[in-house]
Amino acid sequence: MRKTSSRWILAALVVAAGSLWAHHSPSAEFEMGKNVVVNGTLTKVDWVNPHIVVLVDAKGADGSVDNWKMESNPPAWFRRVGVNRNDLAKGLGQMVTVEGNRAKNGSLYMYMRKITFADGSSLELLNGQPPEASQ
Amino acid sequence: MKYRSLCVAAALLLTAAYGFAQEKTAAAKPAASATRTADGHPNLNGTWQFAIDLPPGSLKKQGGGSVALKAVDQSSSRRGSPTNIPGALPFTAAPAYKPEFQDKVKYLFDHESKTDPVFYCGKPGIPRIGPPRRIIQLPNEMVFLYEDISGDPWRIIPTDGRSHLADANPSYYGDAVGHWDGDTLVIDVTNFADDGWFGEDGYFHTDAMRVTERLWRVGENIGYQATVDDPKVLAKPWTAPPRLVKPSTEPLEESPKCVEADGALLQNNDHHGQR
Repeated sequence: MRKTSSRWILAALVVAAGSLWAHHSPSAEFEMGKNVVVNGTLTKVDWVNPHIVVLVDAKGADGSVDNWKMESNPPAWFRRVGVNRNDLAKGLGQMVTVEGNRAKNGSLYMYMRKITFADGSSLELLNGQPPEASQ
Repeated sequence: MKYRSLCVAAALLLTAAYGFAQEKTAAAKPAASATRTADGHPNLNGTWQFAIDLPPGSLKKQGGGSVALKAVDQSSSRRGSPTNIPGALPFTAAPAYKPEFQDKVKYLFDHESKTDPVFYCGKPGIPRIGPPRRIIQLPNEMVFLYEDISGDPWRIIPTDGRSHLADANPSYYGDAVGHWDGDTLVIDVTNFADDGWFGEDGYFHTDAMRVTERLWRVGENIGYQATVDDPKVLAKPWTAPPRLVKPSTEPLEESPKCVEADGALLQNNDHHGQR
């Protein structure tokens, strides 16, 4: 397990475990009770099944770089909530903030639940069904 | 003159008879409409809602001073579709395996995230893939198009009365022939590869599996239901819960390639299935 550093914050925020989906349970792979926040440069967006994958380079004060790999929901899920690859790829080469749940094995791998772009816009996965779409 | 009168009378009779026959034909085969094709069968043509279970929830999109919230519509999925569908056959929630295979099913189910071929981008096959996303209905065959993480399969199902192929290679989507039973399209599928599952809960099968799919119109929607028989491992045929699939205006799109990388990261056997 890598040492905790200031380049990412491990916050003990309890999130609703088990409602994120995969064809395995997220709890088999990720620390669902802990929220991880990573700040870094978005370097790649892979629009692949069964989960989309984004890569983020988080640079520390000492100049070293952590290469984070983040997966999220399936492409079909994003498509059906009106999001396509371009909605994430717009941030390539720019600073982003990603929130999610880290892999239980301690690697630089996590489940992305929210990404905030340099212009302040964001995409966030919410658990459960909202009462209705809103503006 | 007399001869000419006879000819005219005969012509009139023939014309009347022809007209009657035409009326009779028209009555037997109503004109093409939104719900019937020209040959009188229910019209199943169209694009249908994506019917594979997806993660629940919604996406919150913020930017430019606005906030938009959109939920995934899963009303045609296996878990989201109602089962009280007019025209459906009686069904049970789960298949009944012969006693000697029940431990194997339980083991496969308990270790699904390690043992399910679909988890590792395998083909779901019939009936696990569910109803098609697009149906093209022709006089002598049906064309089914699907979207799936394992690729985007297609099926061409003859409905001209021909028999199953004698020399087809085994496959995950099998060898299918269809016929109309009243207003229900009935598809008989055989000749399956023996290493697939017909359901997510460890429902393995053998090369003896035979699947009967049924599709019918329910108003603007279609009903879909499958019956699975495998006399080598099942105690009796299993008719699965029906699905109600809604029409869709969303065009089909090529599914991105499947690269499953989570297997090595799993720390336990927790799982919940896709279909």
